Amino acid sequence: MSWAIEINNLNVWYSDKHILKDISFKVPKNIIFAIMGPSGCGKSTLLRAMNRLLELNPNAKVKGQVKINGIDVYNDNVDITWVRRQFGMVFQIPNPFPHLSVYDNVALGPKLNGLVKNKKQLDELVKHALQQAYLWDEVKNDLKKPASMLSGGQQQRLCIARALALKPKIILMDEPTANLDPVASSKIEELMLELKENYTIIIVTHNSQQAARISDYVAFLYMGKLVEVGETSTVFTKPRHELTEKYVVGKIG
Amino acid sequence: MRWSVKGMKVFYAVLIFFTFTSLIIIAGIAVSLITVSSPIFMKYGLDFVLKSVWNPVTEDYGILPALLGTLMTSTIAILIATPLAISLAVFSSEIIPQRFRSFMNSISDLMASLPSVIYGLWGLYVLAPILHNYIMLPLHNYLGFIPLFSTKPTPTNLFTAGVLLAIMIVPFASSIVREAYAAAPYNLKEAAYSIGMTKWEVTKITLGYIKSAIFAGLFLALGRAMGETVAVAMVVGNVPNIPKSLFDVGYTISSLIANQFPNAQAYEYMVPALYGGATLLFLVGLIMNLVGLYFVRKVMIKS
Repeated sequence: MSWAIEINNLNVWYSDKHILKDISFKVPKNIIFAIMGPSGCGKSTLLRAMNRLLELNPNAKVKGQVKINGIDVYNDNVDITWVRRQFGMVFQIPNPFPHLSVYDNVALGPKLNGLVKNKKQLDELVKHALQQAYLWDEVKNDLKKPASMLSGGQQQRLCIARALALKPKIILMDEPTANLDPVASSKIEELMLELKENYTIIIVTHNSQQAARISDYVAFLYMGKLVEVGETSTVFTKPRHELTEKYVVGKIG
Repeated sequence: MRWSVKGMKVFYAVLIFFTFTSLIIIAGIAVSLITVSSPIFMKYGLDFVLKSVWNPVTEDYGILPALLGTLMTSTIAILIATPLAISLAVFSSEIIPQRFRSFMNSISDLMASLPSVIYGLWGLYVLAPILHNYIMLPLHNYLGFIPLFSTKPTPTNLFTAGVLLAIMIVPFASSIVREAYAAAPYNLKEAAYSIGMTKWEVTKITLGYIKSAIFAGLFLALGRAMGETVAVAMVVGNVPNIPKSLFDVGYTISSLIANQFPNAQAYEYMVPALYGGATLLFLVGLIMNLVGLYFVRKVMIKS
């Protein structure tokens, strides 16, 4: 079986603080993989270690392997911008470029990375990405308006479209619904279920119900250690570890 | 210790007193500018603004050369200062190693607060000869057919004043850009890097995001350039003629006032004439500051 991503003995430090301790797991393709755990357990750090966004923090130090298609993203020969393009990323707070138009928010990535040859291809790519993010019908007449005019939920779907426009294989989502109202949240969840047909989605959530609702596989992270990983139905019904059971029933977290 | 109700009342009274004092002083300045300058406007009307003459003997005054000089020197200054200020801000926030950053910013802030007479002295004895020999003369000799460079330059002229002003306002303008750059949200940068942008591309998008703050900084700096007096008076040439090129000697309103006030009392209309210049400067400065503040407010609403 080929994996979307393989993580081997991943360790992360911030200055002297050991944040992630010897994490290893594999993520199958075309599924939703949830990383859950209480706040401060290292979930977001783990996500950012995958696409090397962690290196924006000058104090971060990484050891270990993160492999996509057999290529270790931490290999010295690998170009960091190439790594980041292999992943689409959606963040906790919707962060479109507020001063750019709806169109440009989606078009910028493909344009910079040379994914399209001409304006017509770009138009089609933008339209397709917005359709995939279920945003097209709401914004098709406002493509020239600044992204800051959209509602919070729309902005988050715009960020998803921006990520999809890079044609990644894997989409990383860092608590994408934490700052949205319930209606907007459920729209994003539906969208994720739709997207896993063609993408592998790795979502970080502190909400175990959300993990149970949408994910196929789940990893439980506690104080920088991977406590348990497996199929969501198994982890939630027959957890192997006492800590997982406590977390799932809401005793810790 | 908590303040008693009475203590709070006294505190507010003191606050209100000082607030109103400064407001009254500003209003007072505006009123005296208008009343003292009114005779010159009554006598010459718009001619005072549109005529080029400065003859105390015949009591003929027109402010146009100085007004043009002010606009020209500050335009030169802002054109040169804009790329420098933005580059300096980006350099000190992105490129220079973290541990030198605060040192460098302190130097830049120190430059912004240096007394302008120091800039004037340096401008007169160091900058002016260098500009004259290595920039203005070659430009005039080889490109003198272009009207901008057509005058045979002397070391002190409008161009020298503009360059000196640029040097003076760069630290101020760049500190505003720097603050805005630092205040750009971290998640904006994360978004930019996450779609595979290079450091340079992220810098560009961040600069786009703080566009309003950059405009604000530049307009506030322009206001400063227009009001700057001593340093300009030392290098501008102080001749009231309509500038025919960049390298012409000239005057600015503030250097005119600084140079002429000692003898102004001797003439009937010179004091009103200087006040008239001051009124114009006040108006232009006010407009620049209002435009600058408009952009600052736009930035604050956004964040």
